[in-house]
Amino acid sequence: MAPEPPLLTMSGITKSFPGVRALDGVDLHVQAGEVHCLLGQNGAGKSTLIKVLAGAHQPDDGTIVWRGDEVTLRSPIAAMRLGIATIYQELDLVEGLSVAENVYLGHESTSAGFVVRGRDARASTAALLKRLGHDEIDPARLVGDLSAAQQQIVSMARALSHEVRLIVMDEPSAALDPDEVDNLFRIVGDLTAAGVAVVYISHRLEEIRRIGDRVTVLKDGRAVAVGLPAKETPTREVIALMTGRNVEYVFPERPQPPGSGAAARPEPVLSVQGLARDGEFAPLDLELRPGEIVGLAGLVGSGRSEILETIFGARKPTSGQVRVDGRALRPGSVRAAVRAGLGLAPEERKAQALLMLESVTRNVSVSSMSRFSYGGWLDRAKELRAARDATRELSLRPDNPSVPVRTLSGGNQQKAVLARWLLRGCRVLLLDEPTRGVDVGARAELYTVIRRLADEGLAVLLVSSEVPEVLGLADRVLVLREGHVVHRAPARDLDEHRVLDLVLASGQHGPTHTEGPHSPATTEGSPAS
Amino acid sequence: MPEFTSRRGLLFGAAAVSAGAVLTGCTSNESKDDDSSEDNKQAVADDKPGKEVTIGFAGPQADHGWLNAINDNAKERAKKYKDVTLEATEGSNDTAAQIGQVETLINKKVDVLVILPADGKALTQVGLKAMKAGIPVVNLDRIFASAQAYRCWIGGDNYGMGLNAGHYIGEKLKGKKNAKVIELAGLDNLELTKQRTKGFDDALKNYSNIEKVARQAAEFTVESGQSKMSQLLQAQKNFDALWNHDDDQGVGALRAIKQAGRDDFLMVGGAGALSAFEEIKQDRGVLKATVLYPPTMAASAIDLARALGQGKGISGMSEFEIPSSVTLYSAVVDKDNVDQYMSTGFK
Amino acid sequence: MTQPASPARPVTEKSPPADGDKSPWRSRVARADVRTLSLLGVLAALVVIGGVTEPDAFLDTDNLQLILTQASVIGVVTVGMTFVIISGGIDLSVGAIVALASVWATTVATQDYGFAGILFTAVVVGLGCGLVNGLLIAYGGMVPFIATLAMLASGRGLALEITDGKTQMVTVDGVLKLGERDSYVLGIPPLVMVFAAVTAVGWLLLNRTTFGRRSVAVGGNAEAARLAGIDVRRQRLYLYLLSGLCCGIAAFLLIILSGSGQNTNGNLYELDAIAAAIIGGTLLSGGRGTITGSVLGVLIFTTITNIFALNNLETAVQQIAKGAIIVAAVLVQRRTATT
Repeated sequence: MAPEPPLLTMSGITKSFPGVRALDGVDLHVQAGEVHCLLGQNGAGKSTLIKVLAGAHQPDDGTIVWRGDEVTLRSPIAAMRLGIATIYQELDLVEGLSVAENVYLGHESTSAGFVVRGRDARASTAALLKRLGHDEIDPARLVGDLSAAQQQIVSMARALSHEVRLIVMDEPSAALDPDEVDNLFRIVGDLTAAGVAVVYISHRLEEIRRIGDRVTVLKDGRAVAVGLPAKETPTREVIALMTGRNVEYVFPERPQPPGSGAAARPEPVLSVQGLARDGEFAPLDLELRPGEIVGLAGLVGSGRSEILETIFGARKPTSGQVRVDGRALRPGSVRAAVRAGLGLAPEERKAQALLMLESVTRNVSVSSMSRFSYGGWLDRAKELRAARDATRELSLRPDNPSVPVRTLSGGNQQKAVLARWLLRGCRVLLLDEPTRGVDVGARAELYTVIRRLADEGLAVLLVSSEVPEVLGLADRVLVLREGHVVHRAPARDLDEHRVLDLVLASGQHGPTHTEGPHSPATTEGSPAS
Repeated sequence: MPEFTSRRGLLFGAAAVSAGAVLTGCTSNESKDDDSSEDNKQAVADDKPGKEVTIGFAGPQADHGWLNAINDNAKERAKKYKDVTLEATEGSNDTAAQIGQVETLINKKVDVLVILPADGKALTQVGLKAMKAGIPVVNLDRIFASAQAYRCWIGGDNYGMGLNAGHYIGEKLKGKKNAKVIELAGLDNLELTKQRTKGFDDALKNYSNIEKVARQAAEFTVESGQSKMSQLLQAQKNFDALWNHDDDQGVGALRAIKQAGRDDFLMVGGAGALSAFEEIKQDRGVLKATVLYPPTMAASAIDLARALGQGKGISGMSEFEIPSSVTLYSAVVDKDNVDQYMSTGFK
Repeated sequence: MTQPASPARPVTEKSPPADGDKSPWRSRVARADVRTLSLLGVLAALVVIGGVTEPDAFLDTDNLQLILTQASVIGVVTVGMTFVIISGGIDLSVGAIVALASVWATTVATQDYGFAGILFTAVVVGLGCGLVNGLLIAYGGMVPFIATLAMLASGRGLALEITDGKTQMVTVDGVLKLGERDSYVLGIPPLVMVFAAVTAVGWLLLNRTTFGRRSVAVGGNAEAARLAGIDVRRQRLYLYLLSGLCCGIAAFLLIILSGSGQNTNGNLYELDAIAAAIIGGTLLSGGRGTITGSVLGVLIFTTITNIFALNNLETAVQQIAKGAIIVAAVLVQRRTATT
């Protein structure tokens, strides 16, 4: 094919939100007629990038060149007029309207300017659905009555109802059965054959191998690889790009392996026995001793966050027990867990942990108000002192706990959450993606803080989708795949390749055995090597 | 209140219709059940049991003292007659609900309907429907938009209320120079409030020494009466008379007057609540009189409905039929005649 | 991060930490002050308007007493409402609860027990309604809007059932006296004292107790509050109980003020209380609000009504102006809050 100018060239796209830089100079080049895959972990910046492309976000910096001309995408409508359509992961359909009405929503064909010509819309919708191989969907039906897969098709029909040159699909296969995925790929094939470009976002690498032409990998708001050949690049290399490090960190030194002598080993503070939730994760056994950091490694959907939230009581287990100091916690009770000394720093910090309108002090003190109150009456001076002490101990910046927490950077917001549990006197810290939304430069400090807390006697359970983070920070590692623990080992015995092998599991999707190949040998509390 | 000219036109039309009805009535057998000895005289409704009549009654929700008295008056009067069966619906302020209730009564084939509509205009259609189905309608107080929708209208005189209140005050303040009057009106978005105010203003025009210096509208509730009256008292440190449209809100107004410690003026109420009558009788406060808007009209409506059902006229009138329109007089009740009205006072 | 909280904001990330040390704090304090000051400014402007248009009637002690007295009943309701809104809820039933409590407390049977009987009944009926609201919302999983709407309907219905549409006169002298001039202490009407006390207690509760903190936390981010170990459901129950209690107290004040109980009492209090809280700076979505702001909101509304009445303006004009002021106040606050 003769070299032709790219359809779309995004260069140096930068976008910041209060507290975090979501995109930091990202480039994306898309050719007409290609399937360009966009890869990256949660929070890598994919959503922000496609929202910039859809006109929903305005970039702070960078240029967008569309068919040779520099353009500004002021609004979703502007993007649509140029021929850029986006199918979001959370479907943006109106359930109370019919299929045809949804497809032509916002650009209804009308007579006299406002009378919607329903029959025309239904006829052309039927044609679009036929083209998509789903003529069984009645254009007159309510979208709310359709299955998730059918809704996906409607979303696609809506994109095609415009003159499109580029379609962005955000994890389109997530809600689909295998044969529906085949149909999706056929449609993608038809589109590209007609010269339409597709930007395809997925976590599933095998899909990318099947239909992708080129791959761009995002990591921490940067493009770590641009335009790799989708078919030839080895899986391991792609995964390593996603989960690896583009900056080498110096992780804090581990103390001497705990239990150099069996007698010195402290009793476990947390023990989890047969904990399971149907459809999320298989029965799990786990012990955590003061001073140690245990890491859970696994890809998205491996049940990592679910495990943490269930231990914390935020989800009710189907079976199993959580014990602290040998005493069983009431299942599904956050309050019981907190009272027993557990603390959770959740993945979605803003949605699940922080009171964004409040000061750092109030965010820190919220879990230990009884300590500064007498019969419900707050001693605010004492509260402020305690919050100051706790945040100072974590070197939270700025060193003024009266500022609103929303003005803090991601890393310092995370410290505010940690300070909350420190102040509470928490003994087991559950960390879910502690560096998510934390600027790359601020991570090393957070690692030091976490290690220091462990050294001071806290037990830490760490979840991260970044393999080096787990390996660098944890003493022991549990590798998860699809809700099962497939391997347990001291972190020093593992390396990135080995973990990638385990999480990817040569055996594709199929149900994995409860016992990983290595698990019998490396059970809980195996003698330190 | 409807204009007199149009009323007369309607009267003729309705009379023509009812004349036909009465003619057929006379030729039928039932009419002979009545006093046949007085063959040539009109058949006049009286207390003696006559033909059985089922009266359907639909009124608004009795969330106010006056409306409650309307229901009570209707029910008590119906109970008095052995030959009357009253089918009363749950009161409703919702137009649609009331239409449904009236339609149910039509389907039940009651003999006569008495309707106090939540909204006169909105219930006109269902009134027409009843009339077309051969069920005569007695329209109580809030008038339908079309005279074809009722056989007889009976109601109070809002304009007359204002007029009589104005004249009473005018006479009391006769000879007083630069007399000041204030008005505490009812719900301002009701037509009847405007009519009362117009009557009041028209009456005051006859007294050149009187000026109306302030008017505020309350909401027929004690709470609003207290609130608006206390503001009026603050605004007007000096005035000679007050007309309050409604005795219910008057309870609040009197409370405000007491709280402000004022007694330097004369007050006239409206409607005829028992509490107002008692206050007038005791004659220890500012309330000296009240202008009636009598809820006994509901009892009269039952009388009219019974007469209609039995095909009779009413005594004291020489016509064979009941009138097509009855406007009640808004009498002024003061210390001199209050005893006579005491039994009609509502709570 | 997946979805940033607010789009298109200037970057704060670039500034070094030391730089952002004091200024955000100052601006926050300033913002809170600006909000209160702007309300005080509106109130001052109203006083000027009142003083200019009706110098004799507006600017005297009697009128001040009048305005504060008129503000007392709805003011007490608004304090409770403010807590509910701060916690992310809404209570549409306040007017109905006031009506129900005021008629229940003035039945002949209740009045037999005298002053204490009336006060006790009003408060218990208020608490009872609040309890039902709270249980339905906190433990029954009902949306506050629906649960309290149901309470509105049934409360008004029950009030009508009790009174039969009749006005129930109070015959207990001790209650009646409290509404009259003789019982003013140092020129302060007892109603106003109760209002002031409820305001003070509300302020302390919100700003100085764990209860207040929890209310704000639940309203700001219920999920975060839950994961921080707060019993969100129990807190919600308490909040509707508090609102019910305030309605009971307000009903008692209204009985004193009007010397009667009527089922039409408390008409549209829910809208007045919500409006006052909103112009006072309480976020309808929860998580932020002040008692001071709400009380200023009530005083602004009462003063407007007073000025209009003194100037003998029509009801229609008063209603239009009230709507305009709500819009203006909220717009002004949004501006001061974002700049």
